[in-house]
Amino acid sequence: MNRIAPLSILALGILAFATLLLVIVPGIQINTEPPTPGLKPYTAQQLRGRQVYIANGCVYCHSQQPRSADQAPDDIRGWGRAAVASDYVFDRPHLLGTMRTGPDLLNIGARLPSREWQLTHLYQPRAISDWSIMPAYPFLFEVKDKAAPGDVVVSVPKEYAPRHGVVVAKPAALDLVAYLQSLDRTMPVPAKAIRDDGYDNDGVGK
Amino acid sequence: MTRQARDNRAPEETFEPYEEHRGIPLPVLWIAIALALWGVVMLFQSHSAADSGITRRASQLSTQTGQTADAGAALFVANCSTCHQPEGTGISAAIPPLAGSPFTAARPEVVTQILLHGINGPIRVGDRDFNGHMPSFASVLSNEEIARIGNYVRKRFGGQPPELTPQLVARERERFADRGPWAGGAEIAGTVDASLAPQPPTVPARIVPTDAATRHLVNDGRGDAWACASCHGAQGQGNEDVPRLAGLPAAYIAKQLGDFSSGRRDNDSMRVVARALSKREMAALGRYYERLSVPSTARPSLGGDLARGEKLALEGDWENKVPACFSCHGPSGFGVAPTFPSLSAQHPSYTARQLADWAGGVRSNSPVQMMEKISGRLSAEDRRAIADYLATLPPVPARKPTPEEASNANTAR
Repeated sequence: MNRIAPLSILALGILAFATLLLVIVPGIQINTEPPTPGLKPYTAQQLRGRQVYIANGCVYCHSQQPRSADQAPDDIRGWGRAAVASDYVFDRPHLLGTMRTGPDLLNIGARLPSREWQLTHLYQPRAISDWSIMPAYPFLFEVKDKAAPGDVVVSVPKEYAPRHGVVVAKPAALDLVAYLQSLDRTMPVPAKAIRDDGYDNDGVGK
Repeated sequence: MTRQARDNRAPEETFEPYEEHRGIPLPVLWIAIALALWGVVMLFQSHSAADSGITRRASQLSTQTGQTADAGAALFVANCSTCHQPEGTGISAAIPPLAGSPFTAARPEVVTQILLHGINGPIRVGDRDFNGHMPSFASVLSNEEIARIGNYVRKRFGGQPPELTPQLVARERERFADRGPWAGGAEIAGTVDASLAPQPPTVPARIVPTDAATRHLVNDGRGDAWACASCHGAQGQGNEDVPRLAGLPAAYIAKQLGDFSSGRRDNDSMRVVARALSKREMAALGRYYERLSVPSTARPSLGGDLARGEKLALEGDWENKVPACFSCHGPSGFGVAPTFPSLSAQHPSYTARQLADWAGGVRSNSPVQMMEKISGRLSAEDRRAIADYLATLPPVPARKPTPEEASNANTAR
């Protein structure tokens, strides 16, 4: 093989050009983006819950990126408006996800704010939806004979309740639910925020 | 000998293959240049798309907040004329007229306060007494919009100069920040402008007590049912696809709970809750939420065409056999008990989702299959338009307790 030098220089040049346009320039653009007005940083408990979310692989089945109406009917599903870059300012790394085996969760805190519901659902999803294929997470809970003061007792329908005692949430479950409750990006987006406008260049949107 | 044994068909062994320098064929070069040019053009085009997206959002925002030239008239038609009529004549014995009303000619604070808080009580306009029942617009209109409507109404019906400014409205908003609706003309005359007297006496507010068991069910839940408030909010205001319950007819809520429990209406979470409730509890919860009156927390969020939504709600689309929403659900979508739920101030993704569910056969529990047929004739864009429009309307005004409830309350006291 001859002319190795010009070939590799050309290949490196193409790679550098692509990196500049696809990584560095968007990075500069996005880094200057302020958080969406009304978005708060996560609290210590919510961050612990985020670690539980990551550790249990929730991201493999749940995305965190509602789409715009011309791509999917996510807004009518109640999953919220299309996400914009500034919604993820406090997520490092973001947990966008690619699979939608389950519903999108970026606004779960707005549409299912109930801590009790979330706890029941994590303990046994089938107790609520008998068709659900989500795994149950019983190891985030413990069965006690009697709830101690300060314990959070989970309401479980009779068919799924343990024969004796009550189901009590462990701290990890409470942290996870606190994180889920904090997922709320329903606040309006400033008109100038960076977002995907597609190729809709005639100015007439859907 | 070796030379003779060589197969003549084989190439010369000493032959070294080589290629002469040949330039890129001209057509390929042209294609490459054309592609590059196309790329540059696309870059510029999509850049202008981002700009036009921003302009479009800005223009949507300004039409939504009504900053167009004659915004007062447009806001009046959109918000007031379903009840007070386009000419401000009102409806005899039901809705007070605006034309010639002393309220439109009184101090600017009067119209401002009525728009901000609504009225729930007897009011005298001219020589007639009305049973005032007006919603509060504080949660759905900005100070700017209230000033525009107020100036329009006072100029057109009271002949007054435009004295309302957004600053004045902001001050008036502060002044009685936490109060509910005015309890009738007498209270307005006594508090805001004495020149409006005499007014019919205000009937003292009758608070119907809720039994402790219902309150417990709403706020704390039970072992077998989550608290209503944990999803629907402390005041039944809802969010996203969790519906607002405040102000829905009691019978409607009880029927839906019954349908969730029997499976006529399909919703996994609500089925769990409804199966834990008795008929009596369902009825009590209905009465509890019917009486709640809370500010609107809904905002248009589906990018629907508000003008189209307003047309569908007020006039319908008879070419497609779609009747006006308000012809059954009452003026301004305040609902007609016991069958037709209120629609105003409902969250748009809930409304649009229900319309899609009716159309797709997922929800099928309406009387005589009416909503199934109507929703099926609406396009997806129309469903978004209606849902967004309904979210701009003020919430249902506080419902008056029936005489029976009132007497119960009085004996309880």
